[in-house]
Amino acid sequence: MRSVIVLAGVFVALAVCGPLVAPHDPTAINIAQRLSPPGPDWILGTDALGRDILSRLLHGARWSLGLAFLISVIGLCMGTLMGLLAAQGGKLADWIVMRTTDTFLAFPDLVAAVVIAGVLGAGTGSLIFALTVTGWMRYARVVRGIGLSLQTRGYVVQAKLAGLSPLAIARWHYLPALMPSLTVVWTGMFARAILGISALGFLGFGVQPPMPEWGTMLLDARIHMRSTPLQMIWPGLAVVICVLAINLAGDALRDRLAGQEEQA
Amino acid sequence: MRVILSLLLRAAVVLAGTALATFTLLWHAPGDPALAIALARFRSVVPDAVIEQVRVEAGFDAGFWPAFLSWLGPILLGDFGQSSVTGRDVWPELVTAMSYTFPLALSGLAIGVALSIPLALLATRHPGGWLDRFAVALASIGVAIPQFWLGLLLILLFAVQLGWLPAMGARTPTHLILPALTLGLTVSASLTRILRSGILEARGRPFLPAFRRRGVSEAHLTRNHIAPHAAIPVVTVFGLELAFLLEGVVMVEVIFARPGLGIFLVGAIEARDFPKVQAVVILAALLFVTVNLLIDLLYQVIDPRIGDRDA
Amino acid sequence: MLTVDGISVARGRTDVLRDISFTLAPGRTLAVVGESGAGKSTLIAAVLGLVALSKGDITWMNRPVRHCRPALVMQEPRSAFNPALTLHRSVMEPLRAGRLPGDPVRLTRLCDGLELLPDLLERRPSEVSIGQAQRIGILRALIATPPLVLFDEPLSALDAVTQKHTARLIADLQREEGFAALIVTHDLGYAAAYADEIAVLQAGQIAEMGPAQDFVTSPKTAYGLTLREAAFALGALEHVA
Repeated sequence: MRSVIVLAGVFVALAVCGPLVAPHDPTAINIAQRLSPPGPDWILGTDALGRDILSRLLHGARWSLGLAFLISVIGLCMGTLMGLLAAQGGKLADWIVMRTTDTFLAFPDLVAAVVIAGVLGAGTGSLIFALTVTGWMRYARVVRGIGLSLQTRGYVVQAKLAGLSPLAIARWHYLPALMPSLTVVWTGMFARAILGISALGFLGFGVQPPMPEWGTMLLDARIHMRSTPLQMIWPGLAVVICVLAINLAGDALRDRLAGQEEQA
Repeated sequence: MRVILSLLLRAAVVLAGTALATFTLLWHAPGDPALAIALARFRSVVPDAVIEQVRVEAGFDAGFWPAFLSWLGPILLGDFGQSSVTGRDVWPELVTAMSYTFPLALSGLAIGVALSIPLALLATRHPGGWLDRFAVALASIGVAIPQFWLGLLLILLFAVQLGWLPAMGARTPTHLILPALTLGLTVSASLTRILRSGILEARGRPFLPAFRRRGVSEAHLTRNHIAPHAAIPVVTVFGLELAFLLEGVVMVEVIFARPGLGIFLVGAIEARDFPKVQAVVILAALLFVTVNLLIDLLYQVIDPRIGDRDA
Repeated sequence: MLTVDGISVARGRTDVLRDISFTLAPGRTLAVVGESGAGKSTLIAAVLGLVALSKGDITWMNRPVRHCRPALVMQEPRSAFNPALTLHRSVMEPLRAGRLPGDPVRLTRLCDGLELLPDLLERRPSEVSIGQAQRIGILRALIATPPLVLFDEPLSALDAVTQKHTARLIADLQREEGFAALIVTHDLGYAAAYADEIAVLQAGQIAEMGPAQDFVTSPKTAYGLTLREAAFALGALEHVA
């Protein structure tokens, strides 16, 4: 749990401070210096419009990591609500929620996100919407599963007998028990959102230019692959490092939880 | 029997839900659907009166639900309509696109399986050994790499720098190599992870040491006790990998300009050619619901106690 | 007055409970004894309204039992508490749920009666002994002054010394508080020592019911006799006979 919190802190710090330490304006066009190789002025070189790649990478963290964080947290809230509704709301609510989940799971979520973002029109709003509506189902399933197993747990029976409201039961008895598993699912969904944002950006359906987002940077870089291949390395590397770090933290957390369960 | 009926019912509900979600999305898409249909039908500049006529005919003026039903009718009969841009039938174009996508998906899957099974077997021989750690690291990096970036890197290396392989298009069989490799590498990363933990879990089952002490051979254990236990995750994984493959195909085809379903879909979205978009969506949903239904039925055969995967 | 009037509970096609009737007045104790699987836990769930009745009716003072906010003391004391919360929070839950004012004097008095040190409540469930957890479970059950308290095998998770001690504390508190107690147990010795009335549950039906004293001295059915002999053989009735 602590490693995940530290990691999230590092990423938030990167998204907040990245733009502050960027040496140049990420959108400042400088045609005279276009496609410069790495050098003292431009540590990672410049792109086709002469913009500093390092500054664009650092500013891009705000878009790629910040949006991914936002999307994964909205999905977390949505999925948790749906899961609690399924577990606590009776047979009919359970059926409706689970069939909705099935419907959204019936489709590879990235393809669904491409279709939704594309049909609604490119832009940050449709990007967030597309990745959120396709990214809540795993939370819902986990919450429902644990929720159903909690219903027969002694302390939940006691709370019901005492007449505690469903909302209070969810707050005091379900959420604490759900937190560890939800954190594990959240790390996976955070990583997925980073990949999704970059993929949609690369297809041109995501964050729009001139905003520096890692996927759209790759889209720009692709055209100049022959002359400046290094330009294509950095944004991709940034995505891989972030996703890898999140996945490793999630794996470590899951292993720790499994170990704790075995002990108990 | 009751379980099978409820699985069929569930599949039908999911399909209906997908259709509803698709239509809702198109209904709320910016732009006028009646205009799109009128353009598709008359292939020229259309007067407003004609657009209004189409709107009434299609039931779009009657509100969401009547419009949904009149939209759903032809689709249920297998009629995917005409492209709103070219006016040509969607279905033959879709079949052509699929003829490019299926070889790519299959060879990607084949490469993924061919790489991951030996890797997982080698890795689990000595869990925690250097080979195992190497496999885990490789697989972790593999699932963190965006497929389109891996594709770009392969193009950069094999097509641009070395000039060994063609990158763009699908004219010759060699055009299949780089896209299939891109897909195969990412598939093998996720498959290796799942296979590795599946094998380790199957090996760690509590009764195995007792069998070993009684002198049961290792080969017998693998065949009769470890393999069947690993079968259920493998079936599950197959469903997951199919979703992964389709996602990968879309991105990989765009990178390599391969005229399959991915280009078909992305091109249709960019052209706002909604009949084509909905055709892909419905076809894919049909494919996934069918595969998931088969997987659920297969669970019934492997272990009848599994009535409900949600439970 | 708890009135259980001809109830049956069905699971699938079989009746788990069939035609059960009895009454229980405030201040009195009814012990339901029987083997595991006889339907004891289902009876508790039925009285609390946690399972649907296929026949009959259960009321407290002519209203549904849930209206009187009955309390339950569970067999596994630790699982009755949320491991993530302090015991104090769990103990106060019935008051919070009922929007009742907390009464520090009552809490102190109950703690005294249950021989619990108040700072024990600041711990979490895993940090107290099973015996302490069970007494805290009783504390939680009694905190909102329920007129009816159900005990589901309240002693079976405890060791022999703690069992006797806890049984005596329950009896003392009942004398002070005057609640009606429905105790489900397989321990005939406990039932005989502390209950006013005993009902023998066998395969979902009441095989025999009567005052505890009569039951121990002259069981009417063969099953009652068997149970009594088994209890004697284990030395459970020494303190009664």
